[in-house]
Amino acid sequence: MLAAPLVILSMQEVVQLIHARTLAPRVLTTSAILVASLILAGCSSNPAPAPGASNDAGTPVSGGTLVYASGDAEPSCLDPHVGGNYPQALASSQYLETLYTKDEQGELIPWLASDSTVSEDGLTRTVKIREGIKFTDGTALDAQAVIANFKHLLDPATASSTGYLALGKIKDMKAADSSTLELTLSTPDNSLLESFSMPWVAIQSPEALKRTQEENCVAPVGTGPFKVESWKKQDSVNLVRNADYVRPVANPEHEGPAYLEGITWRFIPEAATRYAALQAGEVQIIDNAQPDTIAAAVKNDTIKHLDAPRPGASNRIELNSSKAPFDDQRVREAFIHAVDVNAGVESLFFNTTKRSYSPLSSVEPLGYSDESLFGFDPAKAAELLDAAGWNERDADGYRTKDGKRLSLTFPVSTSQSVPAEQSLFEQLQATAKESGFEIKINLLDLSSWYGALAEHNYNLVSAPYTKVGPSVLSILFHSASTVPAPSGYFANLSQVKNPELDTLLETAGATKDEAERKDLYAKAQKLVLEGYYLLPLYDQQNHFLYSSKTQGIGATTAVASPVFFDTWLSK
Amino acid sequence: MSSHLQQLTPGDPVLSPHAARSTGSGTGVWKHRLKLVFPVLVLGFFTLAAIAPSWLAPFDPLAINPADSFSPPGPGHLLGTDESGRDIYSRIIYGARPSLLIGAAATAIGVGLALILGTLAGFGGRWLDAGVGRILEVLFALPGLLLALVFIALAGPGVGTTIIAVGLTTAPGYARLIRGQLLTLRHSPMVEAATVLGRSRAKILTTHLLPNALTPIAVLGTLGLGQAVVWAASLSFLGLGAPPPAPEWGAMLSAGRTYLSLAWWMTFFPGLAIVLVAAAATVLSRVLNQGEKS
Repeated sequence: MLAAPLVILSMQEVVQLIHARTLAPRVLTTSAILVASLILAGCSSNPAPAPGASNDAGTPVSGGTLVYASGDAEPSCLDPHVGGNYPQALASSQYLETLYTKDEQGELIPWLASDSTVSEDGLTRTVKIREGIKFTDGTALDAQAVIANFKHLLDPATASSTGYLALGKIKDMKAADSSTLELTLSTPDNSLLESFSMPWVAIQSPEALKRTQEENCVAPVGTGPFKVESWKKQDSVNLVRNADYVRPVANPEHEGPAYLEGITWRFIPEAATRYAALQAGEVQIIDNAQPDTIAAAVKNDTIKHLDAPRPGASNRIELNSSKAPFDDQRVREAFIHAVDVNAGVESLFFNTTKRSYSPLSSVEPLGYSDESLFGFDPAKAAELLDAAGWNERDADGYRTKDGKRLSLTFPVSTSQSVPAEQSLFEQLQATAKESGFEIKINLLDLSSWYGALAEHNYNLVSAPYTKVGPSVLSILFHSASTVPAPSGYFANLSQVKNPELDTLLETAGATKDEAERKDLYAKAQKLVLEGYYLLPLYDQQNHFLYSSKTQGIGATTAVASPVFFDTWLSK
Repeated sequence: MSSHLQQLTPGDPVLSPHAARSTGSGTGVWKHRLKLVFPVLVLGFFTLAAIAPSWLAPFDPLAINPADSFSPPGPGHLLGTDESGRDIYSRIIYGARPSLLIGAAATAIGVGLALILGTLAGFGGRWLDAGVGRILEVLFALPGLLLALVFIALAGPGVGTTIIAVGLTTAPGYARLIRGQLLTLRHSPMVEAATVLGRSRAKILTTHLLPNALTPIAVLGTLGLGQAVVWAASLSFLGLGAPPPAPEWGAMLSAGRTYLSLAWWMTFFPGLAIVLVAAAATVLSRVLNQGEKS
């Protein structure tokens, strides 16, 4: 928001300048316009890139503080068990670690756990906990500590959403010995280890969890390479190096603690300001980089780009099938053929992402994609709408049926969508109009947006959902997900309730046969795509831009949030 | 923003229409007319745009053309295109209506409200004057834009709310001015004469006081029009005005700032339109004021 008041203020100053009585009016009018032009032009010119930046990695040096600028909303709690959103995952990946994680090849590997086995009936899972690891408050990691974390997640008082859902099948847990955890499940769950790899299920010190939620939110205690030193709200979180850090899985090239002395985790919501701060060298890495700045950055050698698509669902628009007009499949199909997504994705995203035709992210190996369903075809849309009875047009050119306009309400959360995405929605609105659909885009803050969803006051909605593995499909499309969770949120926004789909998802989530799992999830995805419950747009975006003086960036968690253990600052 | 209104006192030249200054010579009249060229051209152009945008705009302000996005100003698109390939010039033309309408309506509300408050204070006796005076002081204590934001937070965003919010915010400045005028005029010889002749208070108010107080209000109202346009744009800029993708200058400015380094024209031209209207209104009010004096 910094750039914004600058422009407004300059206008105000110009008007006030004109009002000043000491100077001749004619001179003033001209100079006022000149001043305004200069101020505006000044805003648009970039600071010169810093000279002498080198791309040589060289030998890592220890020391220095990395300044990270986040465009996401500042978390209200630094403990990702509480609620469980992506901004929390980004920050907590530096100070908390998970039982499992994914390696560079995308393979699931044990991290704080050392191994895991499951019984023949799939109802008992045994997890071996790695020994010799300590939390930063000195407490030792053992099976009891993990149980304390799971209990914390499942306790309604914690108000966990993401982690709570991920552990939903755990019925009972006990420590067979100090390093062996035995979990009894209500139904077999083949996604449990994937769930264990998510920051929302990260393991914290059981001693620290005994504090009040308020205290734990301010300074969660984990086993990670950094620890939370202080949190100045509305400004930054101060992280310092964990000097005693031992990487659970040894890396011969980097032993001991992190290279960085600390990380300053700042919040700069305004995209242009964030990018300007990076260009000026005020910060070393930014997230939520805008497509046009990524395109500009790859052309110069002082700024580098990390593209780390998130796992889970693709970015998509859900069509609310529980109410008119989308309770009619023909109208859903017509809508999908009435909007031109490709033209928008190509022009607005500057080749930083590709069009998606799948409910799942491109990094999900079990994703099923069908491009043939999603062609832009206004003639077909017209045919379907005529057949569905929407065959009259009103004075504004919108289709009507029984005197009612074919109108769609589309609440958009301004904090969950980048400007390019909002522009894409405006483009869909313009192309849909030609087929006779009226789309009402309501830009809302997050709480009003949740409110609109809770009241079922939407026909179209776009909500990101990040989760490791294809079990996200159950969260998004199982009929049980139409029932609100303790947090009040229900993830099945398309409101699809289909017993056949429920059975497919349940069987897919329980089978021990990997081939069968893949086949069943493919069938489930085929069913929701062919039922036109969603319009896939593009991959979930996760772009970082960083100064080329910052070395050793690229390692990420299973949810693609960067970890700065290997990061160092070259002179 | 409203400082120029707050700082006016009855001794100020703007408020003393009868303090004659000799500008009646031949060259003076010419200079006076020349000064009218800029505001009349600008306001005339944008008023025409507000009344009949389709005469001036070559394109539909909402028509997208993704293949043509971020085109710089040139022969195809006079002022360039935005991120969806919409024509900036056409959007500015169509944006004149909401911008000027909000400006004019808000000023009308501000002046209307001020007339009531100012008359009560300036002509209603000591106690009413004290009461209204305190209310005005409280309103002055709050920064204008903050007052507008509070009102929008309570009533919800939208064009109607913006008009009322800006109107409410500007009212105290006008009200104090009217009060000052009435107080000065009340002790003028003509009012004393009317009182001696036994005219009723209402008659004195309508025939002598208000007509004389209204001239400076007209001048300041013109000035305030420019200010209201800027305020309305500020509120739209903050996402509290017309919803997207409606062509509105403040909203265009806001949409463009994301692409400031890529497409300066998306921000520059809507900004220029706001500056031109505000500057034209200011110059016009100044010329009117001088004309009034001569």
